[in-house]
Amino acid sequence: MAPPRTYRCEAITLSHTPLGEADLLVTMYTRDQGKVRAVGKGARRSTSKLMGHLEPLTIVKLSLAHGRNMDVISQAEVVDGFATLKGDLTAIAKGQYLAELVGGFGAEESANPGLFQLMIDTLRAVAANPQSDTPLRFFELHLLQVSGLSPELYQCVECRVELEPGAHRFSPNVGGTLCLECSPDDAHLRPLSLRALKILRHFDRSNIYEACNIAIDDELAEELKSLLLTTVSYWLGKEIRSNSFLERLHNESLSEV
Amino acid sequence: MTQDNVPGAAPSLSRLVQELNRLPGIGPKSAQRLAYYIIRLPDEEATALADAVTAAKQNIIFCEHCQNLTDASPCSICSDPRRDQTIVCVVEEPLDILALERTRSYRGLYHVLHGVISPINGIGPDQIKLKELFSRLAQPDLVELVVATNPTLEGEATAMYIRRHQGREDLRVTHLARGLPVGGSLEYSDETTLSRAFQGRQEL
Repeated sequence: MAPPRTYRCEAITLSHTPLGEADLLVTMYTRDQGKVRAVGKGARRSTSKLMGHLEPLTIVKLSLAHGRNMDVISQAEVVDGFATLKGDLTAIAKGQYLAELVGGFGAEESANPGLFQLMIDTLRAVAANPQSDTPLRFFELHLLQVSGLSPELYQCVECRVELEPGAHRFSPNVGGTLCLECSPDDAHLRPLSLRALKILRHFDRSNIYEACNIAIDDELAEELKSLLLTTVSYWLGKEIRSNSFLERLHNESLSEV
Repeated sequence: MTQDNVPGAAPSLSRLVQELNRLPGIGPKSAQRLAYYIIRLPDEEATALADAVTAAKQNIIFCEHCQNLTDASPCSICSDPRRDQTIVCVVEEPLDILALERTRSYRGLYHVLHGVISPINGIGPDQIKLKELFSRLAQPDLVELVVATNPTLEGEATAMYIRRHQGREDLRVTHLARGLPVGGSLEYSDETTLSRAFQGRQEL
């Protein structure tokens, strides 16, 4: 029996680009199919029934038809448009950062419900507190976990000895934390403070709401950001483009204080 | 097109196909159809097309005030004394000016950004004409800035960035109304559009 021509799915839209006269090429992350790129026919016309439903950072229920080259969106209904998040410039920038990472780590035709839920939980946490960077740090660590790239935080990755309280080192290249005795020849090796290691372990064991309740000072926040950004970029294999705008907003907010 | 030559086509025809294929919205098949159409045109029509492309590329410049594409700077709108010089409408693209001019309901000036802030595509404030806008806003006779970016995520982000950085407390900053399009339908409208339509409801 031939497979059905149409299917339904729940998705979070990541981005879209104009296609042809009035169509939209929408990139989304679905709960059951992973990353999907589909065409919204006529979606840029002001009277299109799809208009407004396919904006980036929106949870939508979709009906799609299998196309020869790309699937076609036949119906769309907004589940959550994240209106609060979209009313704040910093929150939008963070949302786009998350979308770029999910688009980069998510694979087509490969479901990862953990990644789908992580994206939604993080968007909600960002909307609740746009100025806090903790949701992004939690997202980066758990993004690595749900992608099968979880860094080792409890044992030295070289000698497998349980890490004692103290300063350690970290490298994405060898897969996580190293004790001070082991010194592999690794250009990505960097120091890891005990405070940063404790926060990473806390993130590892918590949900996002528990993680966001912890107070993190500026120095520790910078160490965590640098470590996790480097690790995520390492595995992504390229620069995270949306981070430069996020950094710009961050620096502007510091200069206003 | 990724291949160097279109199989079975003469090299010069193949080059024309490849150049047309670089245009937005033109796929390989459309490029081939257009190329064969151009080849079949009378010589004078094909030359007129080539001349038009060359002339446009050589003569079109940015207006020094509004950054719109023009043959002469300042452009016809900026140099028109009948236009209201106290109000500037910010749009994303030159085509947006044509759409607004068709309404005949706006008689002020424009500023074209030539894009929107789109961090996911690597486009930040420095890649669009925002610096030119902010230096223009220093003119004291300007009383209103209408931000007419598209009501998309990136258009809204750009509007918020402009509002945050425009730097004048006495400047009225507005944006176009949000709501239902003429000929649209409540049933198919998304929640954000409907809630904004409610917020902007008017006396009958």
